[in-house]
Amino acid sequence: MNEIYTTAPQQPPLVTPDSVELPEAGCRTLGNGVRIYTLDSDDFEVVRMTLVVRAGTSMQTKPFSASATANMLSEGSATLSAQQIAERLDYYGSWFDVNIDRDYVYISFCSLTKFFAPTSEVAEQIILYPAFPEREVAAYCAKRRQQLAVERRKVDTIAREAFARAAFGEHHPYGISSDERLYDDLRRDDLVDLYRRLYVAENCFVVCSGRIDDEVLSIVGRIAGSIPSSAVVPQPAFPPCRTLHRLHVEHKPAVQSAIRIGRLLFDRRHEDFVGMQVVATALGGYFGSRLMQNLRARNGYTYGVMAAMVNFDREGYLAIATQVASEHTDDALSEIYAEIERLRTEPMPEQELQLVKNMMIGEMLRILDGPFGIADVTIENILCGMGNDATTRAVERILATTPDDVLRLARMYLDRSDLIETVVG
Amino acid sequence: MIKYTMATLDNGLTVAVNRDRSSKLAAVNILYKVGARNEDPAHTGFAHLFEHLMFRGTRSVPDFDVPVQMACGENNAFTNNDYTDFYITLPKENVETALWLESDRMRNLDISPEACSTEKMVVIEEFKQRYLNQPYGDEMMLLRELCYKVHPYRWSTIGISPEHIERATLDEVRAFYDRYYQPSQAILSISADIDERQMITLADKWFGHIADMPRAAAPIAQEPDQTAARRLVVERDVPATNITVAFHMGDRRSRDFFLGDMTSDLLAGGDSSRLVSRLVKERRLFSSVNAYILGSLDAGLFIFRGQLMPSTSEHEAEEALWAEMQDMIDGSISDYEMEKVKNKFEANALMGEINVMNKAMNLGFYAMTGDIALINREIEIYRSLTREAVSDFCRRTFRPENSSTLIYRSAERAADKSKM
Repeated sequence: MNEIYTTAPQQPPLVTPDSVELPEAGCRTLGNGVRIYTLDSDDFEVVRMTLVVRAGTSMQTKPFSASATANMLSEGSATLSAQQIAERLDYYGSWFDVNIDRDYVYISFCSLTKFFAPTSEVAEQIILYPAFPEREVAAYCAKRRQQLAVERRKVDTIAREAFARAAFGEHHPYGISSDERLYDDLRRDDLVDLYRRLYVAENCFVVCSGRIDDEVLSIVGRIAGSIPSSAVVPQPAFPPCRTLHRLHVEHKPAVQSAIRIGRLLFDRRHEDFVGMQVVATALGGYFGSRLMQNLRARNGYTYGVMAAMVNFDREGYLAIATQVASEHTDDALSEIYAEIERLRTEPMPEQELQLVKNMMIGEMLRILDGPFGIADVTIENILCGMGNDATTRAVERILATTPDDVLRLARMYLDRSDLIETVVG
Repeated sequence: MIKYTMATLDNGLTVAVNRDRSSKLAAVNILYKVGARNEDPAHTGFAHLFEHLMFRGTRSVPDFDVPVQMACGENNAFTNNDYTDFYITLPKENVETALWLESDRMRNLDISPEACSTEKMVVIEEFKQRYLNQPYGDEMMLLRELCYKVHPYRWSTIGISPEHIERATLDEVRAFYDRYYQPSQAILSISADIDERQMITLADKWFGHIADMPRAAAPIAQEPDQTAARRLVVERDVPATNITVAFHMGDRRSRDFFLGDMTSDLLAGGDSSRLVSRLVKERRLFSSVNAYILGSLDAGLFIFRGQLMPSTSEHEAEEALWAEMQDMIDGSISDYEMEKVKNKFEANALMGEINVMNKAMNLGFYAMTGDIALINREIEIYRSLTREAVSDFCRRTFRPENSSTLIYRSAERAADKSKM
């Protein structure tokens, strides 16, 4: 090897990207009104197709029916059994994935481009002709009931559900958490009904990313073009939120308590959303954040703590979440409030704000590094009624944030009396 | 196919680099060949505690994370039974920042008594969060103790108990650092859109000056052959009973690793696999079931694990698992099934190549096994495996006297039964 360097060189200079590049998705509208967005990238021989349907849990009229419908799509169709569907996807090494949140269901198929055609035959069955066989529905419900019971032994799960109840109200579609025994009341007809009502052309769109050739495009167009139209676009009215500011749940035996603190704010379309993302990141959005430094590095109360802005379709909120040693619950709570207060009273040092900004830009670069991350960001933008320039603009806003902005936002939105506190333990 | 260039610096540091033309990011990975298997039985959890301390700053960089974040980077680390791995992704223009930081903490770590004691508290909270305050959190710990009587794989990376972590002293921390955090004990790997020779030059620029003061790791006691079936029953406050059956098998470098991996995929890789389709979907004995291998550097384990449905008896569940093993031994595997899992390996391998971090991490891992070329040979190895060889693996492995069974019984289910 060369012998030039005999002592440790000094810190190298830094390059900070001042923008991120994100292509606008191609878009075409099919006869039934479904839009297909495409993000073509030739670098890899894979393709992903995601169908986004407005059929999340807040759209259901019976507990667990939205997630059951989404999860049962692949459990048998008009012409294929659940086993045949699983066999075909596995045979081509293709991925099929269903995710559900409060508002939407995301159905993704991912395959090597050369295997997209056989993969799409299965996709077509799953999307257009799910059968929801009685027997499979019963098995699913029994299984999920047990899994949810296990989940609800975790203080973190209990705290997450308690926070939603406190923030939105226990009957609000965003706040409700149903008894797992209600899985026993779920019937095939509930799923069929929800599918017919919500899995309609007016209620969905498709995003394709990766190596997209003409064959892929025509197949996707054929499948999405066959999604039936509906005369009524369902949009249930939400009751107003009924916020409870303090909710403590007993859970024994717990060597750790779970804490969630936050408040309802606004969704991504609000002009202060990006600014509050900066505030949340500074508070608990990265490893060096104020709460991590305080609760973990300085005090050792916790293994981790996070804060983030969460975006739903019709609401948005800020949440701080952590699990701490039970004997330090009160200490941790007062430190969290002290850190929030510090944001409201002391201007953030320029250096720290710069760090937060660079962190956020870096995070964006990592998400956008690869065709699937680009597709995910595009989906988020579409759901907010925005194009991909929204991401570029968000980056500009992050970079333009000043210490005064942080102070102003923290003062305006983080008043102690507005905060919700849930503790489990 | 991952193209790479490999080099060894004069001080013994292994360097493996890959040019990725599609990414704007650089991934820098550094792997130290020390894990929980190198620990003293009276001081377990130490390798992992030390991983935490590596973030506690050096004489010139008091906080490791700040410069990483300033460079728009993200970093983290993990420890397992075999090795400790640190990684950073950041814009490729800042790749030297990562090299600067990693080379600095390879030599200049500065742990104060305060930092050490706070970090011990953090790790104890991690212990609670992930193992004590979690349903089934101690299941793997119990299984390890049951399967291994001699080898240090008998404890988990987190350690045997929080007391071991509590006991760690600053002197032990320094001795551990001096022994294991040496250039010749480490592998640096990078994936980025940078010329490969240039990356090796940069590695030498930042790491070449570090003197190597190697001290051989203590030999590791190997596990003797198991000669009788083992069984442990515990009762816990959980909603459902879990059954785990584990078998000793070969190490990561053996042919049995590939046969074991393929067997686990035939049994539990995806919804169409044997165990999922038969025992979860058809017979409804389990709410979930899995079969997987550990892939450790020393002889590993093949593990079956199932969560019972309320109506399933323990006996019935165990019998069903053993019947599936027998079916594999009896040669029921079809060419179609073999083709299916081989296709899956290939697709997974290709999809894994999308990400620079994956590639850097894999280069480090394969270099550690001593056969980096394996990274591109595995698909071919899987392709060459026959159903006869898989059956033979099952016959040799799934023997009662080679088994360890853990019944993790739900206390409430047990109470329900006694009421009936």
